[in-house]
Amino acid sequence: MSTIDRKLLDELRQILDGDAIVSRATELKVYECDGWTVEKSAPEVLLLPRSTAQLSAVLAALHRRGIAFVPRGAGTGLSGGCLPVNAPAMICTSRMNRILEIDFDNRRVEAESGVVNLHVTNAVKSKGFFYAPDPSSQVACTIGGNIAENSGGPHTLKYGVTTHHVLALEVVLPDGEVVELGGPAEERCGYDLVGAVIGAEGTAGIVTRATLKLMRTPENHRTLLATFPDADSATRAVSMIIASGIVPAALEMMDQLIIRAVEDAFNVGLPRDAGAVLIIELEGLEAGLTAYADAVAKTADLAGASNVRLARDEAESALLWKARKRAFGAVGRLAPNYATQDGVVPRTCLPRILRVIADVSHRYDLRIGNVFHAGDGNLHPIILYDERQPDQVRRAIDAGREILKACIEMGGSLTGEHGIGVEKIGEMSLMFSFDALRVMTELRHVFDPMERSNPGKVIPQPGTCVEVAAPRRQVPI
Amino acid sequence: MAATASSNLAKGLNSIVGADRVRAPIDREARAADTIVEPASVEEICEIVRMCEADRIALAPIGAARSLAEIRRSPVALGISMARLARIVAYEPDDMTIVAESGITVGKLNAAMAPARQRLPVDPCGPGITTLGSLIGAAHSGPLRLSEGTSRDLLIGVRFVGHGGSVVHGGGRVVKNVAGYDLMKLMGDAFGTLGIVTEATFKVRPIPSDYCLAAVPYAGAADAFAAACILNDSLPLTNLDILSPALAARFNFTDQFLLLAGFSGNPPEIGYQARRIRDLLGARGEILSADEAIRSYELLRDIDFYSAPLAAQIAVPPAFLARVLESFGNETEFRAHAGSGVAQIIPGGKSSAEAAARTVARWREVARAARGNLRLIAAAPAIRDSIEFFDTPNPGALALMRRLKAAFDPAGIFNPGCFVGGI
Repeated sequence: MSTIDRKLLDELRQILDGDAIVSRATELKVYECDGWTVEKSAPEVLLLPRSTAQLSAVLAALHRRGIAFVPRGAGTGLSGGCLPVNAPAMICTSRMNRILEIDFDNRRVEAESGVVNLHVTNAVKSKGFFYAPDPSSQVACTIGGNIAENSGGPHTLKYGVTTHHVLALEVVLPDGEVVELGGPAEERCGYDLVGAVIGAEGTAGIVTRATLKLMRTPENHRTLLATFPDADSATRAVSMIIASGIVPAALEMMDQLIIRAVEDAFNVGLPRDAGAVLIIELEGLEAGLTAYADAVAKTADLAGASNVRLARDEAESALLWKARKRAFGAVGRLAPNYATQDGVVPRTCLPRILRVIADVSHRYDLRIGNVFHAGDGNLHPIILYDERQPDQVRRAIDAGREILKACIEMGGSLTGEHGIGVEKIGEMSLMFSFDALRVMTELRHVFDPMERSNPGKVIPQPGTCVEVAAPRRQVPI
Repeated sequence: MAATASSNLAKGLNSIVGADRVRAPIDREARAADTIVEPASVEEICEIVRMCEADRIALAPIGAARSLAEIRRSPVALGISMARLARIVAYEPDDMTIVAESGITVGKLNAAMAPARQRLPVDPCGPGITTLGSLIGAAHSGPLRLSEGTSRDLLIGVRFVGHGGSVVHGGGRVVKNVAGYDLMKLMGDAFGTLGIVTEATFKVRPIPSDYCLAAVPYAGAADAFAAACILNDSLPLTNLDILSPALAARFNFTDQFLLLAGFSGNPPEIGYQARRIRDLLGARGEILSADEAIRSYELLRDIDFYSAPLAAQIAVPPAFLARVLESFGNETEFRAHAGSGVAQIIPGGKSSAEAAARTVARWREVARAARGNLRLIAAAPAIRDSIEFFDTPNPGALALMRRLKAAFDPAGIFNPGCFVGGI
């Protein structure tokens, strides 16, 4: 494999704008990791194309030299998805950030992949529409990143994830060929390649453009805060609310450690002594909301809530959500570092997994806080540690792995949102059989036969040192 | 199929499943497959696949054979009936997920969930005969797609038998899962060309407490579509459909286009939506509730386009659907999912094979110009030969699809030769 040499840089200068090639070590340091800071590795060169044509010419040039590359959006990913692994070139889409067309009649938006997620909703909300996938990082993360990870967010429970809201893609394959997949109609023609690329974590080439579906903004909403003496009663409430036939737009849980961190940081009025709280969002027609809110409050009471509070106005509702969305930021004051996990369990297993997490916290002697999407069983245990203590680093990683294994044991998943990336590549064989991984590799090779698009991600390579700490198990689907 | 090959196949099947589970095709199955085998386990399917790969015998999974009979110009040698793999494997109402073998029908599945007041919110024509395998592989959908999405949106886990007779699973049992590649999307709408789906996990939804259906007649299609647009902008409807006069007749509305807007929710929501519809559209038509609403909805759902001599499904961006259908002329019958941009259409008048081919070609051109596509639903054998089932994808996409097929079916045995581009 050849490397980034002068000849290549000269060729790239013919393709890209003057300031679109970054090769100085000091400037590249910014790109040495994404939101997963455990591992760092800067690329040898960073490229910032402005257009599909430029990006295509760049990939063609790299392809001719057999050089692997890493795509990067905003770098907010939490699994090392854009960490360069045997890939000297990084291609950042941040300059491809135009919303190309908004078609309100058809509820479609065409956007370049570098468009920031929230900017899509901002561009359409005055007409009564929104773009549903709302990751907590939506003020920064890009549509392309959302597509790579099949991102969700708190509102997944009601509205689904990215793949439910993307109709078409323009993708540049690793050899530079530009392909159009899907279209603005709801039915496709042939294999669902759009669905195959979404969630492929950048291993199927680089998405340059996407056709997004918009939804009508619900007429109104209610936000409830339910306080519980312990996590068990909170998770019981989650099950009972779902069983009552109500599908909240969002159903989030925070435990005491997180509540106190948020209160200390932002003073939003959460009950410091609560064992856990649920933030429940209901959306829909104003006519029905009071009855639904009453039903949810009653159910929470029956489950053992000590208090249920309905936000009185928009300001109070926004404050509750601020508390939730800033939870990760708030824990910064509790410890120098944290590692978070992203495992999923069936909703009915929430009480069990929370007990496992409490047990892990005790045995590994690390504080672990829980803030997560209770409605769909997507956990985010926040493991607090100090990276200056190497033993704590080791314990934090092992604690995280043990929690993930427990999730798999309960019929869940390694990742609900953050992707496999580098972080969880060693655990893939806990969840998928050899045949499943082989087939996924075959799928990847359809788009990227030479494995030059974001290599070293998602599928463990044979021969790499992977610690299989549990027997391979055919997980019931 | 040559006599020797046929008898070898019979011998092979007998040794895998026994002679009593190998049979001749019945009725329309004969258009789909020459021989039907009824495996009772995934392992048997694996053995059958390995045998067929070794001998290059074309096979396809069969449910009711509705879609397979139409998509194939000539039958495959072997139809793999999933009739004996039709159990519910796991159902946990509190998780709102269900795992079932692919031979079970949508009707049976939903009957099992009804006591918990949940359902798989899909509505193919004839849920009593639509298997999960067919729902996934032929991407059947109905009026509920407006509010609930399609099987593509609801499928969260899949197990299939692929090349080499290997068993592969993707996804899982949880509604949020981004581990690995999305194999569920590959199996969807793939007509069994990449493998045999044996088990599927779906998200399920609560059955709404109340459902009502507004039935509003219009003299002209344009007015009906304009009304639909107004409603779609104003209310979170459950379904929104427009029937051409010939199809509206079964609802006792003659010579009129019929707008059918379904809405659900708790009693205050129902009351509000009913009032709003009357405010927006005036006091025309009627609003059905309770059993009457459900019966009419089922009538709408079960319009059987498979029994027409020629029927197709068009998909365009929703705002274009009205003028697209208008350009097809007054004689064309249709059921239009107005908020989704999808419609099932039947040409008017009698058709020779040449006329049918010309009609479909014209429809395809219009769909393409509107940035959509068209596929057949059904065509009588006399006219089937002259019409392609699918549009052809653009060259770049088609090349990827060919590579996908080659990777997943190197022996070329999974329902070969009838997919897009002749795949």
